[in-house]
Amino acid sequence: MTAASAPSAPSAPEAAAASTPGVTGTPGSPGAPGAGGAPVSRWQSARFRRRVSATVIFVAMVVVAVVMFYPFWYMGDNSFRNQNQFDLQSGHSLAGWTQLFQTLPVVHELVSSTIVCAAAIAIILLVSTTAGFAFAKLRYRGSGAVFLLIIAAMMVPLQSIIIPEYVNLAKFNLMSSYTGAVLVYAALGAPFATFLMATYYRGISDELIEAAVMDGLSYERTFLRIALPLSLPAIATVTVLQFIQIWDDLLVGYLFLPTNDRTITVGLAVLSSGRTTGIPPLMAGSLVSAIPAIIVYLIFQRYLIRGLTLGMGK
Amino acid sequence: MSLTADPPVRRPRRGRLARRRRLAGFLLSIPAIVLVAALLWTPIVQAVRYSMTSWNGYTAPVWIGPSAYASAFGDPIVRRVLENNALLLLAVPFAIGIPLIIAALLHEHVRGWRFFRSVYFLPTAISWVVIGMVALQFFADKGILNQLLADVGLGSVHTDFLASEYSALAALAITFIWSMIGTNTIIFLTGMATLDPTLIEAARVDGLSRRQIFFRVELPLLTRFIQFSFVITVISAFSALFSLIFVMTGGGPGLGTTTLEFFVYQAGFAQGQFGTGALYGVILFVIMIIVGIGQLRLIRTEDGEGW
Repeated sequence: MTAASAPSAPSAPEAAAASTPGVTGTPGSPGAPGAGGAPVSRWQSARFRRRVSATVIFVAMVVVAVVMFYPFWYMGDNSFRNQNQFDLQSGHSLAGWTQLFQTLPVVHELVSSTIVCAAAIAIILLVSTTAGFAFAKLRYRGSGAVFLLIIAAMMVPLQSIIIPEYVNLAKFNLMSSYTGAVLVYAALGAPFATFLMATYYRGISDELIEAAVMDGLSYERTFLRIALPLSLPAIATVTVLQFIQIWDDLLVGYLFLPTNDRTITVGLAVLSSGRTTGIPPLMAGSLVSAIPAIIVYLIFQRYLIRGLTLGMGK
Repeated sequence: MSLTADPPVRRPRRGRLARRRRLAGFLLSIPAIVLVAALLWTPIVQAVRYSMTSWNGYTAPVWIGPSAYASAFGDPIVRRVLENNALLLLAVPFAIGIPLIIAALLHEHVRGWRFFRSVYFLPTAISWVVIGMVALQFFADKGILNQLLADVGLGSVHTDFLASEYSALAALAITFIWSMIGTNTIIFLTGMATLDPTLIEAARVDGLSRRQIFFRVELPLLTRFIQFSFVITVISAFSALFSLIFVMTGGGPGLGTTTLEFFVYQAGFAQGQFGTGALYGVILFVIMIIVGIGQLRLIRTEDGEGW
C-alpha cells in the first residue's frame, strides 16, 4: 500500500513545476532583474524537485526493503529463543538451536541435499551442453522438431506426471537410494537448461567451429575443446538456477527419497507438518536450509538474473 | 568463403563433413532425448492412460474410459478445487502490478538502488517451505499480523486467518504475491533497461509528467515483459505452490486451500487413488498448455537471436 502511493507522490510537485518552465520559457517575463532571476529560480526548483522526489523514492524503497527482509530477521531473532521466550517475544537463548539438532539430523540432511544437488546438476550439465551444442551447431534432419519437443517439456507440471513417475521408479526399485530423485530432478531441469545452452551456442560463430574441424578436430572434440570452455558463463547460469531449484524442492524429495536420506528442505517440511515441534527450532532449521541458497545467490546473483531474464530471449 | 574458388575439390569433402556433422549432432543429443523421453514424455502419456482407470496402485486397474472426465467435472469437490484455482488468479494482477511499481522506483536509480535490488530479489533464493513457515507465524492466531493490527488500534479485527476457508486462501495468495515480487521486479527492470532513454527525455521535454511518461510511454513498450511475467506468475500460482500449501495449511481448512496441484497429491498419495490423481494431473497439464502456448510463442519469436 505504501509502495503503491509512492509514485504518485513525486508527480505532484512535478505537475506543479511542469507549468513553471512553460511560463518562464516564454518571453513574457521581461525586465533586467527578471532575466537574471528566472533561470536561477528555475534551476533551484528543478534541483529541489529532484531532491524531493529522490527522497520520496528512497523512503518507499526502504519500506519495501523492510517488507522483503523482515522474514529473515524474524527467523534469526526467533531461532535464539525457547518456547517460553517465543510466547512472550522477549529474551534470547540457544534453546532453538540445540532443540533443532536434537530433533533433526541436520548434518546428514545437509549432506543429502548436497549429494542430490551435485548429482542432478552433473547430469543436467552433461545432457544440456551436448544437446544444446548439437541443436545450435550440428543440425540434422529433424533436429529442430526434437529441440522443440524437448523445450516443450518445460510445460509439463511435475504434479501431472508425479503418479506415473512414482509407479515407474517403484518398478525399477529406484526409490531406495538417491537415484530416483536425482533422475527426476535432472529430467525436470534438462529442458530449460538445453534451451539456455542452445541459445548461448548459437552466439558462437560457425566459422570458429568450422575452422577447428578443418584443422582436423572431430566435431565431438571441437565441442569439448572449443565450445565447452567458451560456454562457462552459461554453465554457471544453469548451475546456479538448478542448485536453488533442487535445494529448495519439497515434492520430489518427499516422495522419492528414502526416509533417512531426506534433504534438509524435506526434513524441515515434515518436521513442521507434524505440528509438534516448537517454533524456535523450526526457525533455526529454516535458517540452516536457507543459508546455502542465500550464499550461492549472493555470489552468483548476476548469473541467476541472467538465467531468469533469458527465459524471455533477452 | 573460399568455397566458391575451387568447388570441384571441396564439394566431396564438404559432403563427408556434413554427414559427420549430422552424425555428431545426433549422437550428442541422444542423452537429452533419452532423459526427457523416459522421465517426462512417457509419464505424461501414462498419466493420460491412468486417468481413465480406477486404480489404487496395488490391485489391477479397472478401465473406465473418457467418461472419467465427465464424472470428474460433475463432482462438486473438483469444482470447489477449481474454484480455488480461479480465486488464486485474483492474486495475479497484484503479483504483477506491485513489482512493476517497485521496478519503476528502482529504475530511477536513486542512491543505493543496487543494494535494494539485491534485497528485493533475496527471497527468490529461499524455499517455499521456509517462506511458508514464516508466513504461518505471520497469519497465526497469535501471530505477527494480529499483533500489528492490535498495535495500530485495530485489535477488534483480530482474526485467525488460517481457520476459515476464504481467509486462509487469501493468506496463501498474499504470501504468493510477496514471493513473486523478486522475480517479477527483475523481469521488469530488465525490460526498463531496454527502453531508449532519449525517448523518455523527449517525452519529458514535451512536458509530460512522470506519471504520464510511465503510463503512456514506458508501459506500452514493456508489453512483452508483462506478458512474460504473466505467464510465469500463472504457472507458479498453479504448479509451484505445493510446498507452501503443504507447510501453511495442508490444503485446509476443509478444501479451502486445496488447489488442483495439491489435489493431485492428496488423491494419489494420501487417499491412494492413482487413477483419479492422474486425472487431476492431466487437467492441470491442459491448463498449463493453454497458458504456456503464449510462452512458447514468445520464445519462438526470439529464436535465432543470441543472448
